[in-house]
Amino acid sequence: MDFFLGGLTRGLGLLVNLDPEVYGIAWLSLRVSLSAVILAALAAVPLGLVIGQKEFVGKRFLVVLFNTLLALPTVVVGLVVYGLLSYHGPLGGLGLLYTPGAMVVAQAVLAFPLITALVIAAVITLDNRVGPTALTLGATPLQAAWAVLKEARFAVLAALAAGFGRVITEVGAAIMVGGNIRHYTRTFTTAIALETSKGEFAQGMALGFFLLVVALAVNLASHQLQARWK
Amino acid sequence: MSQALFSLRGVVKRFEQREALNLERLDLEAGVITVVEGPNGAGKTTLLSLLALISPPDRGRLFFDGHELPRSGSQLTAWRRQITLVAQQAYLFETSVDKNVAYGLRLRGMDRATREERVAQALEQVGLAGFGPRRARRLSGGEMQRVALARALVLRPRALLLDEPFANLDPASAQVFERVLGELPGQGCAVVLVSHALEQAHRLAQRVVYLREGRLVPEDGHRPGA
Repeated sequence: MDFFLGGLTRGLGLLVNLDPEVYGIAWLSLRVSLSAVILAALAAVPLGLVIGQKEFVGKRFLVVLFNTLLALPTVVVGLVVYGLLSYHGPLGGLGLLYTPGAMVVAQAVLAFPLITALVIAAVITLDNRVGPTALTLGATPLQAAWAVLKEARFAVLAALAAGFGRVITEVGAAIMVGGNIRHYTRTFTTAIALETSKGEFAQGMALGFFLLVVALAVNLASHQLQARWK
Repeated sequence: MSQALFSLRGVVKRFEQREALNLERLDLEAGVITVVEGPNGAGKTTLLSLLALISPPDRGRLFFDGHELPRSGSQLTAWRRQITLVAQQAYLFETSVDKNVAYGLRLRGMDRATREERVAQALEQVGLAGFGPRRARRLSGGEMQRVALARALVLRPRALLLDEPFANLDPASAQVFERVLGELPGQGCAVVLVSHALEQAHRLAQRVVYLREGRLVPEDGHRPGA
């Protein structure tokens, strides 16, 4: 019990004392994960919208594929992205390996199937009269698709929040392509893994507590946005 | 007889293998209320979707105001903006009444002051003055249909299509629909409605078109103005 209480107390201490290293870790974690979610969403939201709305051969297969990819292990993603970005890999020339940029790419790959699958589910379950109604009122096909997205906005926002939750808490990919370099690519989860391996359980707990506070803040902001849209 | 606003020539619409509509020749005039009748599955709703330009025919030619319409492409939106459809159970967007009614005007890039003025007029026309700020999806069924009618009227369409407008309406809302639709031919609007509420539909109808198994039945005829 002391272990948990000690962690909680130290976590509060880190939060209140404005520890520069911990705040640096928090800022990097937030920056990397939000960038990854935005990058993934740019592809996943339109793709989910198209798959959810259109009828075509192979649609069921794609839905099953994206649902299967939800179980994609983070270390596998890390391994693939590592292979792509490593010196001898096809994208090695970009020089991204062991940078925050590599972590953004890996986390975006992780978030992409989750956001796509949830957007597909949101659009499929949405009333199928939305698009035709917009068209009969004079919308272009693109404006009608936007109307569908607007009507599914709460579910789409929930999909983005779920994507953020998935990437800010993952450790496998971040450590493989980021390298856990102090003051450069160290995030909450890689720092927790490091502290635990050093036997600094309380410090690990403290960082975990701080991570939860950051996740709570992001979800509260998303909730506020939903409330404003109502 | 008024000039034909819609002209259909050899129009065929299929769903999978089934022929839902096969119209050799059909003209629908501006300034006339046309009621489309027929049993279930006769192709009435398919005809409305086709006239609303949201479901292209598989074969045949469709003219609007003398111009042959394309089956797809950017020009179709410009034509579609002259026509609107009120569905049997119209979908209202998850927002306020006034934003629902203003939706089509926003798409047309109308300025805010004109939009607000026209929305207020349309809501008054359907007996919903002051309903603007209310959540559209929380209204009664009849009120929701009236919002859908206001959303169509505000666009001042050249053709108004209605699918079963009197179904599930309370008497007050039915009266509003009947009054408003009755005024439209005088403004040159072509009204095409599918209805099973024969008494109300026939009171309004200036022309009745009968469909059976997707084809026109010869007793199509004009009635004296309602």
